[in-house]
Amino acid sequence: MTQDTESQVDKSNSHPATVTDSSFSQVLLKLKGLLLNSYAKFVGKKLAFYLVVVFFSVTLVFIIIESMPGDPVDVMLSSGNPPPGADLDALEDIMREYFGLDKPVHERYVTYLGNIFSGNLGQSYHFYPVFATNIIQYYLPYTLSLAIPVLFVSFFVGNWIGARAAYLKGKLNESSYFALVFANQLPPFWFGLVIIFLYVVLFQSIPPIGAVTQGTIPSLSVDYFMDLVAHWILPFITLLVVYVGAWATGMRSMVTHEMDAGYVRYGEQLGFKKGKLMSYAQRNAILPQLTGLNMVFNGIVGQTLIIEIVFGWPGIGLLLYNAVFNYDYPLIFGCFIVIIVIIVVGNFLIDILYGFIDPRIRTGHG
Amino acid sequence: MFGLVVLVIFIVLGAVFPLFLGDPYDMNLSLMGRPPNLNHILGTTSFGQDIFTQLCNAIGNSFFVGLVAGSLGTLIAVFVGAVGPYRGGMADKISNLVTNLALVLPLIPLFIIIASVVRGLNLFLIGVILAVTSWPWAARSIRAQMLTLKEREFVNLARMSGDSSIRIVVTEILPNMMAYVMMVFVILTGTSILAESALSMIGVSTTPTITLGYMLYWAQHQTIVPFWWNIWWWFIPPGLVLTIILTAFFVIHAGLDEVFNPKLRRI
Repeated sequence: MTQDTESQVDKSNSHPATVTDSSFSQVLLKLKGLLLNSYAKFVGKKLAFYLVVVFFSVTLVFIIIESMPGDPVDVMLSSGNPPPGADLDALEDIMREYFGLDKPVHERYVTYLGNIFSGNLGQSYHFYPVFATNIIQYYLPYTLSLAIPVLFVSFFVGNWIGARAAYLKGKLNESSYFALVFANQLPPFWFGLVIIFLYVVLFQSIPPIGAVTQGTIPSLSVDYFMDLVAHWILPFITLLVVYVGAWATGMRSMVTHEMDAGYVRYGEQLGFKKGKLMSYAQRNAILPQLTGLNMVFNGIVGQTLIIEIVFGWPGIGLLLYNAVFNYDYPLIFGCFIVIIVIIVVGNFLIDILYGFIDPRIRTGHG
Repeated sequence: MFGLVVLVIFIVLGAVFPLFLGDPYDMNLSLMGRPPNLNHILGTTSFGQDIFTQLCNAIGNSFFVGLVAGSLGTLIAVFVGAVGPYRGGMADKISNLVTNLALVLPLIPLFIIIASVVRGLNLFLIGVILAVTSWPWAARSIRAQMLTLKEREFVNLARMSGDSSIRIVVTEILPNMMAYVMMVFVILTGTSILAESALSMIGVSTTPTITLGYMLYWAQHQTIVPFWWNIWWWFIPPGLVLTIILTAFFVIHAGLDEVFNPKLRRI
């Protein structure tokens, strides 16, 4: 609301000057400046909000992990192989001091915050001398290579299918609706199992689990790349089917709704071609679909994490899963923060996209 | 209607059948990994447990989690979504900020971390965890509804006649929001069942009680044949049942939407 009144004040201030002596282009320039200004304000507001999100979630994770059972030093010592006759109690004290675990909670919180905002996620307890950042940067591309293509491909394919489904008539319409809803409601983690099962039945071979065939040496060759793609395709299809269902259900109902609207009826009376009317309806239906982008993006990232565990695809999800079982606090922190950053950056970009597409959002003028 | 019928069938399967089907964990080592036959209509697990018995118990338990999480989550959502806009000012700003914050938090990693923190998990606790984490979008939709309702004539009349805020919210506004509260409840229950299954299936929330997701976990991890996919009758039914239940919830939600929002008919 405040933004609203401010921009009105801006307008009224600039009004006399523009009216007295100005050509049309000057008015345009003024208007452009105003728009850009409000757009910048909109972006700034969003940026501040997402920074608050990051801060809160980081704090939340700290609280959760502080209350986690199990002593990391014990876990580390039990997984290691100390020399015979070593003084374990003394070793424990040294390790506690080294990792800063002997300090009170609030001091650790402050150092933790400082470290995170300077990009240092600490050293992993489990893979000890390695920094969590180094481990995560190896796993991150796998997650992104799954989530981002799924987002885009499912958006286009799903909306295309949904729009086509809306024009079907009678029994076919009903059954297509049920098929789409069913696809949307498939639990991805189970559908992944079914896909693996189907693969086994169809090809009579061991399904591609993991990132590459075991024993393959990473290289820049075509063979290696094809091997990666062969392992990538199954989780990709799993997620794609579910999210195509999600987009298509929404698009189908939106287009059905739009085809009922007055302007389409009027166009029909005027004798417009069916294709023309369809393109009008689809164009109006896609905007509400875009507002679902945030939710679907969050959903896709979350489901990717689980699908990675099912298919053994070495992304952040699998890393987090293993880190939780190893009580590897810095790595858990790191994974969670990276996930938050993915979500926040994605949502921020989507919000900016909205502002770009729909001026009503960025200016606040309903 | 279709959704309701399906749901009733599954509720009967989950609530009544376990009473006279016997112990779902009962092993019979002479019947390991048998495919579906007349005695065991869905076959047996690799420990000779009857899968149909397990499935019925699992459906019941999954519904239990869903109902706990759905009703608690709806309560939280109604509280956060209704109180904020009604009181206005600071309360509204705070509740809106908290909702938007919680909306962005990635739920699944949060579940994984929380579920591994809390020891001695049981179904009720999992329901509570799911409720605490999955209310934000519901609160948002209730808030939107609240904002339009509180400007209506009858609310103003009640306010002018000197009713207290709580009384107005409870007797005037909530009854008019019942349809939305019901829709929110349906969706929250469905998503909670799904989320619980996802957690149990990857083996994070290892409750000792059998649920649909936990059956999937066992089907993958407790098999004695070399590969889990050889016993297809073990992992197909729970997921299929889950999908059908979720579809039923979705259809019920769409039906409610159609009944209460005839103008915005979306199917």
